[in-house]
Amino acid sequence: MTDAPQEESPRRSAVACAVVAIAATYVYFLLFAEFALVELALPLAEGRLRWLLGALGVGGVTGSLLAARSFRFERYTRSVAHGFRACGVAAVLALLAKTWLLMMIAALSVGLSLGWLTVILVSGLRGVLGGRRLGLWAGIGTGSAYAFCNLPSVFNASPADQTVVAAVAVVIGALAANGLSLTAAPRAEHADFQPPIPACWVVAFLALVWLDSAAFYIIQHTEPLRNATWQGAWVLGGNALTHLVAAVIAGIAIDRGFNARVLGLAFALLTGAALWLGDGAARTTGVEVLYTAGVSLYSTALVAYPAQGGRPRLSAALFAVAGWGGSALGIGLAQDLHHIPAWFCGAAGLAFAFALGWRHRHLRRVGAAALAVLLGGALTDSDVQANEEAVIAFGRQTYIAEGCLHCHSQYLRPSVAEDATRWGPVPSLAAQLQGRPPLLGNRRLGPDLSQVGNRRSAEWNRLHLIEPRSVSPGSRMPSYAHLFADGDPRGDALVAYLASLGRDSLAARVASAAAWMPHTPAQPRAGDQTELTRGRSRFAQLCAPCHGDAARGDGKLAARLAQSPPDLVQRPWRHLPEGLTPQERELHLARLIKFGVPGTAMAGREYLPDEDVVSLARFVAGLQAAGTPRS
Amino acid sequence: MQLLAERSAARSTVPTMPTPSFTVPSAEHTALAAVSRSTSQHAFVWLALANAVGLLMALLLAWPSLNDLLAPLSYGRWVSVHLNGHLYGWCTVPLIGVALRVFLDPRHPHAARHGNIGLAAWSLALAAGSVSWLAGHSSGKLFMEWSGWMRPALPAAMLVLWTVLAAHTWWRRPSRVSDVLTGRALLAASVLAALLVVPVVFFWAAGATVYPAVNPDSGGATGAALLGSTLGILTLYGALPVVLGRPRHAGTGWTRAYGPRLYVAALVASWLLYSGLNHGAVSHHRLAPQAALGTLLAWVPLTWLHFRAYVWPAATRRWLLSAFACWALLVIDGWLTFLPGFSETLKFTHGLVAHAHLAMAGFITAVNHVILQCLTPSTDPEDPPIGPSTAVASSMATPGFVLWHVGLVLHFVALIGLFTVERSDVSALFLGSAAAEGWLWLRAAGGGVLLAASVIWVRNAFRP
Repeated sequence: MTDAPQEESPRRSAVACAVVAIAATYVYFLLFAEFALVELALPLAEGRLRWLLGALGVGGVTGSLLAARSFRFERYTRSVAHGFRACGVAAVLALLAKTWLLMMIAALSVGLSLGWLTVILVSGLRGVLGGRRLGLWAGIGTGSAYAFCNLPSVFNASPADQTVVAAVAVVIGALAANGLSLTAAPRAEHADFQPPIPACWVVAFLALVWLDSAAFYIIQHTEPLRNATWQGAWVLGGNALTHLVAAVIAGIAIDRGFNARVLGLAFALLTGAALWLGDGAARTTGVEVLYTAGVSLYSTALVAYPAQGGRPRLSAALFAVAGWGGSALGIGLAQDLHHIPAWFCGAAGLAFAFALGWRHRHLRRVGAAALAVLLGGALTDSDVQANEEAVIAFGRQTYIAEGCLHCHSQYLRPSVAEDATRWGPVPSLAAQLQGRPPLLGNRRLGPDLSQVGNRRSAEWNRLHLIEPRSVSPGSRMPSYAHLFADGDPRGDALVAYLASLGRDSLAARVASAAAWMPHTPAQPRAGDQTELTRGRSRFAQLCAPCHGDAARGDGKLAARLAQSPPDLVQRPWRHLPEGLTPQERELHLARLIKFGVPGTAMAGREYLPDEDVVSLARFVAGLQAAGTPRS
Repeated sequence: MQLLAERSAARSTVPTMPTPSFTVPSAEHTALAAVSRSTSQHAFVWLALANAVGLLMALLLAWPSLNDLLAPLSYGRWVSVHLNGHLYGWCTVPLIGVALRVFLDPRHPHAARHGNIGLAAWSLALAAGSVSWLAGHSSGKLFMEWSGWMRPALPAAMLVLWTVLAAHTWWRRPSRVSDVLTGRALLAASVLAALLVVPVVFFWAAGATVYPAVNPDSGGATGAALLGSTLGILTLYGALPVVLGRPRHAGTGWTRAYGPRLYVAALVASWLLYSGLNHGAVSHHRLAPQAALGTLLAWVPLTWLHFRAYVWPAATRRWLLSAFACWALLVIDGWLTFLPGFSETLKFTHGLVAHAHLAMAGFITAVNHVILQCLTPSTDPEDPPIGPSTAVASSMATPGFVLWHVGLVLHFVALIGLFTVERSDVSALFLGSAAAEGWLWLRAAGGGVLLAASVIWVRNAFRP
């Protein structure tokens, strides 16, 4: 994509102004639109942040399209200056916004002005800078902006201060715009800009921005990853340097016609870094270099490619679809899934390789290489797993996807004593409604799960999800063994989610269990065979799978438990205090049977009628009386 | 150009918004019959699909190991398809037919095609939604499970439908501007403007962050929400005799003369009462929501008086009777279900499912048959309908009617049986018992009978 050699060299002052304008635009985007605006909006958002991002995106797309429609070379300098000024006004508006409505208006304004500015600026850059060094100047502008934003004092500044810095940047940009004098041919005639090839580039950039935005969001919202990537002066300084060097190298490569190779390398670096960062334990110093280099490579190309074309409509399509659309899709994916699934990486890689490969035959190799990196990564550890909260959120999503809420409620009624006894304790209304959305449910084909974490261990839940009828014979729950297949994170995430429900109420649950008294006669009637039969029957159904038919701790599930179930006949019982009277012993056993032993695979049977619990307790108590404990 | 000329000619010959007429020229009759037929086909197909899924769910409960064969499409994923198939398919499509009947200009040469586009867009969105729910994409909000990429699907279908209705309203607008500002044209424009808000509100309401007020003592709907939704149904269904063009009885009896007026007056009073209620998280233990919901009891006689003031086709009368019987039961047991003590007993149990079953399979189904019957154009309101849907009409009245009600009763009895089992010992439901097994299989049998009836209706709807 090099140009005719006889092209007039641009003025140095114009080059400087163009570099400053590019840098100012990127600073505004990186520091304010991507970071500070969201942080400023958070106190007002109350869970409506998506609306703000939506307004930003709608504004961006609209601004891009409007710019393409109204672009005129003869008005270039003035249009760029207007764009910078509008960006400044929008930033000030965001800074002053104290209500959600104003913040939404500010976000829309930011999107509109930034969308306008980017399309106008890049569409005329070739006329200012010429074609020979366009990539280099774009790289310097882009790299400088990234480097500036990674300076520790800027990176760690408050959102308000960052907004002020961004506003100052666009003021400087507006001043620089006055020096943008057109000296070269405004557009290049090259196959890369002849339909339908631009569509290939848009697809390739879309895949890159989508992947980058998702990875960026996850890193930003996952403390260990965020710390590893952006914490400490040395890390930030290194990032700044990497950004600058990578962007300049990208610019030089682009000037030599290696646009597609730059993008291919960026894709490979981004994917590799994202996968590497996903494994917190295996993280090695230097991984962030891959990520920052990948970002700078494609960010430079994102300026250079449409600037080389000099076609406002192409610029608008690129920024609207790949820029704004890719960002929205990436953030949406990260918000919904909290990780980057392998299939997504594979699909993005395929789309990317196909787009660039189709454009030029020899570039198919680049696509294949990128794909190989992706598949290799997917085979080793495919997902960018976030921290515990992200896993729990993913588990919640799995809970929703599998329709668990159609059989299990997550709401305990304060006025119903049974609810508290069986599934409690009862949280406050606000606590019960805090999920987005709350998963209250309206059926109880199975137990309520709002506090299940305080009465079922993760081990039990896992086993029950895989083999529900082995653990609870007679249960109507489907098996979810497929969620635990190799490489499928859903099963473990679901278990983590269930463990999180009511994890803070264990003490209250234990206290409630200790105070429980069965509503049955204190003493069995002499020779009550019905009760004995009931106890034996319940034992065979509910206890034998772990404890064994003869209560020797050798049930069919015993081998699959981390801690072997106790031999109830010949071993002393771990969870029964010494020195109890027979009545106290029965009561204690009844409590263990009803409420289980927290932290172990011994689950309670809260839903059994008190008669059954007591019968079972008496049957179990009789087991040891019949046997001979060794100690 | 020819089309424009035809439209222009049609517009010039339709000076005002016409009421649906029963003495219609042949071309219009054909268009109306075609739209009516399509409405019946879409509605009955969704009913049959939702019932087939319902039967599958009943079998999965009675025979849980079947889930292993279907994994990952196990019980939980089918529930959304079943519920939404009934709500957005069977419940809604007949009302779309009513809207098409009111707004479509039957003189337009492509009226039938336009109606089909609206219906197809709706069914397509619902089909896509069903696939997405089976694929595990759900918002986790009951009846608002349109999530992610599928969230705009139904609003988009609504917009397609609205465009069809608006275009026909525009084409049949009065030729004189002064006529636009009066009477039916203004009413039609107002209704269209109101309908345009629906997709926006629907999209917003489907968001994960939007959740209605919750009754703190039940975890379910508040009294105000229950009253509002019931009044919405009463408003919608109360308007049916008029929008379906049913003529009034010629008799001079007091009830027939004043029934509709009483209905409207009571409706206005009820909405005023509703507007005065606390719409926050109010418990059913409070007197105000109990009393407000208690006013719904008055709607049993009011509904009877209102509907008997109109002339109904002979084939619809048994469905009207069925609808009224279900309605009376629903109002009474709905109110009881809300009261303290009853609510605590029934919430989360099959008893409440029985109430929902009575509403959907009983009341709504009966009303829908009346609607579909009345949408079929006829030359005489007292006569059985003519045209291609005659077969549909006659079958509604015979084997389908009987089978459906047998299935309805079987299903209802099974649900009440399950309720008694879980009330006496909830572990019998969680861990199985002979009684629970028996009721679950009876429920599946009832589902099978309901499916058989709906298959008969589908077959008749597609019969030439």
